[in-house]
Amino acid sequence: MSQMISSVFTWVNKRLPIANTFERHLSKHPVPKKVNFWYLFGALASVALIIQIVSGIWLIMPYENTEEGAFASVEYIMRDVDYGWVIRYMHTTGASLFFAVVYLHMFRGLLYGSYQKPKELVWIFGCTIYLAMMAEGFLGYVLPYGQMSYWGAQVIISLFGAIPYIGESLELWVRGDYYISGITVSRFFALHVVALPLVLIALVFLHLVALHEVGAGNPEGVDIEEHLDEDGVPLDSVPFYPYKVLNALVGIGVFMTVFAIIMFFFPEGGGYFIEMANFEEANPLVTPEHIAPVWYYSPYYTMLRAVPDPLGGLIVMASAVAIFFVVPWLDQSKVASIRYKGIYSKIAIALFGISFLTLGYLGTVSVTEVRKTVSIICTILYFSFFLLMPIYTSLEKTKVVPTRL
Amino acid sequence: MQKKDKTRRKVLLGLTSITGLAGLPFAATPFIAAWNPSAKAKAQGASVKIDVSKMQYGQQIQIAWRKQPVFVVRHTKESLKNLELSLSKLDDPNSDKIEEPYKNINATRSQSKEYTVLTGVCTHLGCSPKYYPEVEPKAWDSSWTGGFFCPCHGSMFDMVGRVFKGMPAPSNLLVPPHFFDGSILTIGEDGGTA
Amino acid sequence: MNVLNHRGIIFFSLLLLLVSFDVFSAEGGPCKDYGECDAFKPQLNNTESLQRGASVYLNYCYGCHSLQYSRWGRVAKDLKIPDEIFFQNLVFDDSIKAGDLMKGSMSKDESALWFGVAPPDLTLVSRYKGDDWIYSYLRAYYEDSSKQYGVNNLVYPGTAMPNVLLSLQGKQKLVCKDAPLLASNGREQRDDMGNTIYKNKCGFLEVEEGTGKLNKTEFDQLIYDITNFLVYVGEPAKAERERIGWYVIFYFLIFTAISAMLYREYQKDYH
Repeated sequence: MSQMISSVFTWVNKRLPIANTFERHLSKHPVPKKVNFWYLFGALASVALIIQIVSGIWLIMPYENTEEGAFASVEYIMRDVDYGWVIRYMHTTGASLFFAVVYLHMFRGLLYGSYQKPKELVWIFGCTIYLAMMAEGFLGYVLPYGQMSYWGAQVIISLFGAIPYIGESLELWVRGDYYISGITVSRFFALHVVALPLVLIALVFLHLVALHEVGAGNPEGVDIEEHLDEDGVPLDSVPFYPYKVLNALVGIGVFMTVFAIIMFFFPEGGGYFIEMANFEEANPLVTPEHIAPVWYYSPYYTMLRAVPDPLGGLIVMASAVAIFFVVPWLDQSKVASIRYKGIYSKIAIALFGISFLTLGYLGTVSVTEVRKTVSIICTILYFSFFLLMPIYTSLEKTKVVPTRL
Repeated sequence: MQKKDKTRRKVLLGLTSITGLAGLPFAATPFIAAWNPSAKAKAQGASVKIDVSKMQYGQQIQIAWRKQPVFVVRHTKESLKNLELSLSKLDDPNSDKIEEPYKNINATRSQSKEYTVLTGVCTHLGCSPKYYPEVEPKAWDSSWTGGFFCPCHGSMFDMVGRVFKGMPAPSNLLVPPHFFDGSILTIGEDGGTA
Repeated sequence: MNVLNHRGIIFFSLLLLLVSFDVFSAEGGPCKDYGECDAFKPQLNNTESLQRGASVYLNYCYGCHSLQYSRWGRVAKDLKIPDEIFFQNLVFDDSIKAGDLMKGSMSKDESALWFGVAPPDLTLVSRYKGDDWIYSYLRAYYEDSSKQYGVNNLVYPGTAMPNVLLSLQGKQKLVCKDAPLLASNGREQRDDMGNTIYKNKCGFLEVEEGTGKLNKTEFDQLIYDITNFLVYVGEPAKAERERIGWYVIFYFLIFTAISAMLYREYQKDYH
């Protein structure tokens, strides 16, 4: 029996490089032997992506992508399809946790300088994934066609209208109609279900290939390639398989526990994962009292609201996402990890974190004078983290990075 | 490596694998179950009830059940007697070749002695046979004693839906599960006394 | 930088403080003139309450308010009401079959004409308005001669819905009463002799004695049951969801523990 399996394997392997790929990317792929929990979020992001795809495929089956049927079809899933509610909540919880995990993953990048040479392209692919995720999340939220789906879409699509000259035609073109309607829903459906998932999968693949080409980093910012053994394998490394796979397994266990707690006990996330207003069918004649996007867009929504001019707000919001792309060139520091950077960087990243969280909170509540001032301050702090980085990273005194892990 | 470590490794590896694998069927359950007929499908596929007391003798009516036509015929005593006349023309007079829910109870192929309930779908390629109860020569059979004739490819059936020999249709018209409660006919279920 | 060190904790506590300060200085809530909505705790395992709620809903509310995403047979099954009893006593239309959706008995166009706005479908009201809102709303009607049906509602001022449960609750009015003055710490203010200081305040809801079939406790229980039923209808799978949840969480905790032990074991190779 095992002889047969072995010969089948050899036959396939001569035609498809399975063994080679397994060694190159798993059993003989060197990764730093000592990392911390911050390094698990990439794997968790992949898990989240898979959960979204599988639950998403099953949701497409009973979902009706028409204006008349969309909202009712979601309730049909929740009530009439056996365990449809499991699949629906899996998808909504997965969306929020996908973003949570990706934000933590990005923060790890900022903490440990994961974007530094030669990982700039890994970082850029990552930022593009983030951008695609934001689009994907927005498109997906429109599909249940509740009040927040409709009015959230209304707000975001009207942003296109703020662009000078082409704005209004662009708005009409995106909608496909003179107002948001079933035409908009069905095209958003195609983008959400096919186009962007394909783009995301391709980008994740490129992200991983680029990473494997140059090798993963570590919290110390040490270059493990500097010290190799006789076989050319870094001394401070372990093969990815089985060691990091087993590490990821623990991370997945914790992640799934959190996932289950939310999915089975707090699927609406207190109104932050599924907004209350979205349990009411879209009504173009009635605007909800508070239009707010889902929590993961919140910081950018605050920035948008902080700027009085619509075009200005759009530019600020777009810049806030775009600026992530150029971080590898903003960071002039000689060291990669926050552990060895100077006091300026530590203060800067702390302020960045606090302002990001504050901006996030402010996006979920209504605007008052005080809140507006605070959002402007936080927006300035947010941008300062990036724009002042070339200055404070070159001025500050850094510590000496060890040579070995 | 110590032998104890090796065993510990094997045990832990085994435990993790078993725990992981044990979860798989539970994780798969919602996805498999979601393919079951939903409440909407069950509602639409639900049984149909109809009061047949107002039917005339010799009349055939058509009712929709699970998107199929169902024929209900109320026989005259004469047409029940005439069943013998076509016996020699029949391919499967006792409905042995098909799934027959109410076999050998009545000549009507039903639990009722005067009604016949048939799925009005020709067993050839699915057209709906037409009802010709009159005992008179027809274009398709000079010694016609009443029954069903399918216009698509000419299959002939007797008054209780049994197919003639040599027809394109391979078998008798099927009898759907049904039961009578007084004059209320329920199509789709067997009822208490099945 | 370890985020969990004492500096990190200070930062996060400060942030939390700022947030809570902001939250508690918030403006008008969902229960509008009523003030804070009365807290409501659903009991989805209390079958009797759900049954009573369903009965009251079908008798008093269903005439105008459909439950269009819910199916008759499912309600009977989930509420453990035998089919014959359910269909005989609570379903008032013979043509309705168990698998049918509870589409309601009023035409949307006609009711929009009569009431100014069609009475909304209530299948999901507990999810977009909240159970505490419903519980407060149904008890906040009061006499108001300036309104079309002679009633107004503190939770939804100017509501187009008449007070359907008037005969059960009795006539509720907005009255002025002598109420204890409260100090800033929430306790009653006292004068030099230690007596509570009263002040005449308006905006209290009070039912005229003897005008309703039910007393306050009974009526509140009735509204509790209706609200409980609406929470069930809003998400019929909720009870099952929470029941299954415990098992799933337990499973993943076990899985995490075992895989952690496995990881530790392999870590010995290089630690």
